[in-house]
Amino acid sequence: MLLGGPPRRSPRSGTSPKGPQSSTGHVHFGKSPQTWPRRTRPRSPGLAAPSGVRGSTQPKRRDFPRRAWLTALSRYGARLWMGRRPSLPEARGPAPRSAAASRASRSLASPETSPSPLPATTRGAVAGGGSVQGRAGAQKEVFPGQGAGKMAAPMELFCWSGGWGLPSVDLDSLAVLTYARFTGAPLKVHKISNPWRSPSGTLPALRTSHGEVISVPHKIITHLRKEKYNADYDLSARQGADTLAFMSLLEEKLLPVVHTHVHTFWIDTKNYVEVTRKWYAEAMPFPLNFFLPGRMQRQYMERLQLLSGEHRPEDEEELEKELYREARECLTLLSQRLGTQKFFFGDAPASLDAFVFSYLALLLQAKLPNGKLQAHLRGLHNLCAYCTHILSLYFPWDGAEVPPPRHTPAGPETEEEPYGRRNQILSVLAGLAAMVGYALLSGIVSIQRATPARAPSTRALGMAEEDEEE
Amino acid sequence: MGHMVKQNSDKIAAEPWPENATLYQQLKGEQILLSDNAASLAVQAFLQMCNLPIKVVCRANAEYMSPSGKVPFIHVGNQVVSELGPIVQFVKAKGHSLSDGLDEVQKAEMKAYMELVNNMLLTAELYLQWCDEATVGEITHARYGSPYPWPLNHILAYQKQWEIKRKMKAIGWGKKTLDQVLEDVDQCCQALSQRLGTQPYFFNKQPTELDALVFGHLYTILTTQLTNDELSEKVKNYSNLLAFCRRIEQHYFEDRGKDRLS
Repeated sequence: MLLGGPPRRSPRSGTSPKGPQSSTGHVHFGKSPQTWPRRTRPRSPGLAAPSGVRGSTQPKRRDFPRRAWLTALSRYGARLWMGRRPSLPEARGPAPRSAAASRASRSLASPETSPSPLPATTRGAVAGGGSVQGRAGAQKEVFPGQGAGKMAAPMELFCWSGGWGLPSVDLDSLAVLTYARFTGAPLKVHKISNPWRSPSGTLPALRTSHGEVISVPHKIITHLRKEKYNADYDLSARQGADTLAFMSLLEEKLLPVVHTHVHTFWIDTKNYVEVTRKWYAEAMPFPLNFFLPGRMQRQYMERLQLLSGEHRPEDEEELEKELYREARECLTLLSQRLGTQKFFFGDAPASLDAFVFSYLALLLQAKLPNGKLQAHLRGLHNLCAYCTHILSLYFPWDGAEVPPPRHTPAGPETEEEPYGRRNQILSVLAGLAAMVGYALLSGIVSIQRATPARAPSTRALGMAEEDEEE
Repeated sequence: MGHMVKQNSDKIAAEPWPENATLYQQLKGEQILLSDNAASLAVQAFLQMCNLPIKVVCRANAEYMSPSGKVPFIHVGNQVVSELGPIVQFVKAKGHSLSDGLDEVQKAEMKAYMELVNNMLLTAELYLQWCDEATVGEITHARYGSPYPWPLNHILAYQKQWEIKRKMKAIGWGKKTLDQVLEDVDQCCQALSQRLGTQPYFFNKQPTELDALVFGHLYTILTTQLTNDELSEKVKNYSNLLAFCRRIEQHYFEDRGKDRLS
């Protein structure tokens, strides 16, 4: 509509315009150059400098294979591949700011034609049907009179609260949070422990700037990519394929074990009572703490049984041993793949790193009884270093604010002491007041005042017998 | 994950591969389904690549004979092993392996890609067979129950369908539409195609169990007649995958004098 040129497979013909445009990756609208001059001027200063934004030269070199992968992936909904990717963790600081600055400058530069430039600048290659939706979406979110529509309502992420030194104790929430940190997405994070408070009823959930709610983790990440927070921007086609393969490996081998840990977590009654239930009971408000943990437990158990029930194992132990063996093998494979690199695909984190980190962090930090897996993981030094590296770089304050796991059992107790005492006193007082009030009202006890004038009225309070008289 | 008969690996290694090793699967013409056929073909390809002779025997109750409930399974000497993963380990214990020449990183990638195929392709095949009403009605029910008399054929078919649907729900595929499943297949094929590139096999010159697995699934998808051609169309989009299947078929199946695979 606005940009004329077919947004479809023209990338393959290699007509990507040069200059700042290529820094947006895949803008190949044939007619767009006419709109460019308006935008490039304010944009280029913002974009030229920061290291976080991929320079204009880079995409051209690697355009072809990446485009093929990206356009294919775009068929699934991850349409907009123009994203800037933080190059190095150290540049994380400047990168989000520069991105925000560039976005702001872009938006400020063209308030009068707000619908048109934004799709071209902010939306990259949109293949097929995605184009219409992408532009429609872009149009939707831009309101005349405001800057970029995106700025109007920040995205909000609801996720499980933290514990054990981690920003979140739920696998999916942690993965989404890590991805957001990698890309510097400006999210307002609500850490809650009551899934009913989240807009979709489950955690994690993302409320986008249009008010739409997404609750499947992969879709959340896809949405973040659409909003130009793309950590996989620079991956080659083969690395993209590797990402898929390793995610499948994680899901197949490690996920059952994380659930099994939850299984031993929940099922092992001693552990359940001491650690899990206590944690949930503290974290969740009344009356959820009564039935929500049980419900989650049942869900996990059911999934575990379904997935493993096909094997008809002779006994539970055999199944568990096999699960743990596969998990250990998977961890070893991950360690081998990571090698000595900082992240799985070089020096900058990608979405695969977010997921691997969330699995590893949970397995490392959670205080669980079965130490075999943790011991094995601790033996894989590059994975441990990888975890601590990401934690210290991307979650420095979150990691620090929660006391180390060793102290966790003691911590909540001391913290809750003052509240506990106060609650106890209040509840006792409330009980006393209730009893006294009932007694007075029903006449079991009647108050005799010293003044005789008052005596008849107080006696009138009693419905049944009057007890003592002064 | 399958069930391997617990044996000392020494005992396994001691006996050489016998001439009368057999592979059991369901009846080829009337009964076997897409996913089982793919698995069986993968094992056959793997054994061919290892140069181990195997005879394919079709039995209607193969699924129940199998120690883990999955087909195919092989009967070698006095041991019974089912599913590709355990079979690969079993064969390795006997001293034959296709992936010894790979380094650690490549082995990790190989395992990851095998999981990808299982996770996406196999699940998509199962979905198509058991959760897509058109296919279920026209093909699956009839084939699955064909060796049994009424009403057993219906009962068994419904039971299996219910079981598969529960599994789909547990892994989150219950709510997917057919189009989404086909897109997943496309994504998987694209990943495989990109990983393969222009090489003859996934790890350049020599085939590995990954090649066998991919061949099994893709070949079956390409050559099975379903209610519509969407699934095979997705695979046909990638010419290097087609060439790959052709190459393995020619090299390991036709050249050995075996009959063309049905």
